[in-house]
Amino acid sequence: MSRDLKVGLFIGGTVILLVAALLYLAMGKGVFEKTHTFTLSSRSGDGFAVGMPVVFSGFDIGKVAALELNDEGLVLIQIKISDRHVKWIRSDSSFILYRPLIGSAQIVVNTVNLKSPPLDESKIPQVSIVNDINDAIARIEPVLEKVAQIAEHTERLTRNLSDPKGDLYRVLGNAEKISTNLASKKSLAEMAISDEESLRSLNESLKKLKDITTNVDRLLVKVDKMADRTDEQLYGSEGALPQVNVILKDMIRKLQKLDKTIDNIDKISSDASAGTKDLQLLRSDIDDLLASLTEMVKKMEDLVGTRKTPEFKTP
Amino acid sequence: MISFWENLGHRATVLFWAFADTIAFSGRVFLRIFRRKTYSSAMREVLVNQIYFTSVQILPVFLLVSVLFGSLLIGIVFTLLKEFGLTDFIGHVLMGLIVTELAPFLTVLLITLRSSAAINTEMAVMKVNREIKTLETFRIDVIDYLLAPRVINGIISIVLLSSLCSIVLLASGILFSRLIFGMGMDVYTKILLTSTDFSDIVIALVKCGIFGFFITLIPIRFGLQASHELTSIPVVVSRGMVNVFSAILIIEVLSLMTKLF
Repeated sequence: MSRDLKVGLFIGGTVILLVAALLYLAMGKGVFEKTHTFTLSSRSGDGFAVGMPVVFSGFDIGKVAALELNDEGLVLIQIKISDRHVKWIRSDSSFILYRPLIGSAQIVVNTVNLKSPPLDESKIPQVSIVNDINDAIARIEPVLEKVAQIAEHTERLTRNLSDPKGDLYRVLGNAEKISTNLASKKSLAEMAISDEESLRSLNESLKKLKDITTNVDRLLVKVDKMADRTDEQLYGSEGALPQVNVILKDMIRKLQKLDKTIDNIDKISSDASAGTKDLQLLRSDIDDLLASLTEMVKKMEDLVGTRKTPEFKTP
Repeated sequence: MISFWENLGHRATVLFWAFADTIAFSGRVFLRIFRRKTYSSAMREVLVNQIYFTSVQILPVFLLVSVLFGSLLIGIVFTLLKEFGLTDFIGHVLMGLIVTELAPFLTVLLITLRSSAAINTEMAVMKVNREIKTLETFRIDVIDYLLAPRVINGIISIVLLSSLCSIVLLASGILFSRLIFGMGMDVYTKILLTSTDFSDIVIALVKCGIFGFFITLIPIRFGLQASHELTSIPVVVSRGMVNVFSAILIIEVLSLMTKLF
């Protein structure tokens, strides 16, 4: 590749890139777009600036092109809206100069009915002003009043504190007295009781209390040992409770056996009861038989009748 | 005491005349750029060679440096913006600081270090070897043949390389805005479009042209001040380079002042 070609490619390529970037920028910024100019009015020009954005629903749709003062003292604001965004500007659109506390001011367009007719470019709607700074000041004023009250109270408190006849000085005086008193005594108890005899009694009582505590400790050790021993006798391997447990298990086994025996006895009893019923039936059968035999004998006697002394040997 | 004031006055006069001489020299070269007769075939060949040496030869290294330096710079700037809660100013920082200020500055520094020093030395050596005298003897216009192609090359190279550097930085911005802010390409483009002013770009391009003009003209001027002794070469080269860097700073300050007003 020749040197001329390389240089030509470099210049051509870079120029094309540069021009393409600039064209893209120009198209993005709507340089080649047709614009519509609307005129707004305001009582004051405060807050307006050439180049200020015109915003609809948070999107830039145009900007302020010029500002001028008319013969009636009204500020006329010319805004340029690109062709693709002019649909948002309607006859019922309202224009608000919004001045945030932080950030740059902007003209906000609010359109309630997008089906209403487009705004006539010859009409001059008025711009209302929303001022965050003034709102903030209005909100801050009551807070400032409260702060002033707090400052006043603080001042009063400080004055009371600094008053030599005030409560704080009295409390401090008392504290000083207590400190002095404490410094002259051997202990807090001495300062509290004042009487030396009582203090001695208190000391003796405390010593006795110490002895009592030692005795109680000793007793507790003994009780502890006893408890250990009891525990061994009750719960140890040779203790009472395991043996009782064995006995109980044996008793349960035996009771289970006894239960079976009782069941058998019960059965025998019911069998015997059933046998008794059979004996009664037999007896009634025998009775019936005897009655029949008696009746038969009577009938035979009636038949025979000739015998004077009939004898029958019963089995 | 008198000698001190005398000395000071003498230095001020010398400085003033040197400055006036440089401005007059710049004017003469500048006017030649717009003269049709200047663009002879010999001059065009020199111009192509100069652009080749200054821009085409350095292009891969320049792009690599732009990508590395630009990514580092954008990464740092974006991280700082995020830390300080200034995310809303990404567009303004990208266009106002990185594209219109740092990209031309980075380009001009690289080209000055590589080409201005070379031009300065080349002119000084030609002067020492009496090549310039020889050209004049053959009635060859030194300004048309030697100076104009180098100065035009300086203007073209700085403007084009600076534009390339800006495009590379903006491309790095896409990557870093996604990594650091989780920003999509659409949002990034919208932010750039919103915060770009054509006036800023025009100022940046004009500034690049002025940079290119002076970072080649000043070395030529100082190179031609060499005597016929070899020892004068390092002297004029060092003086020339110091003056080039002073000129870069002055132009940078003037461009900032233009933005302010």
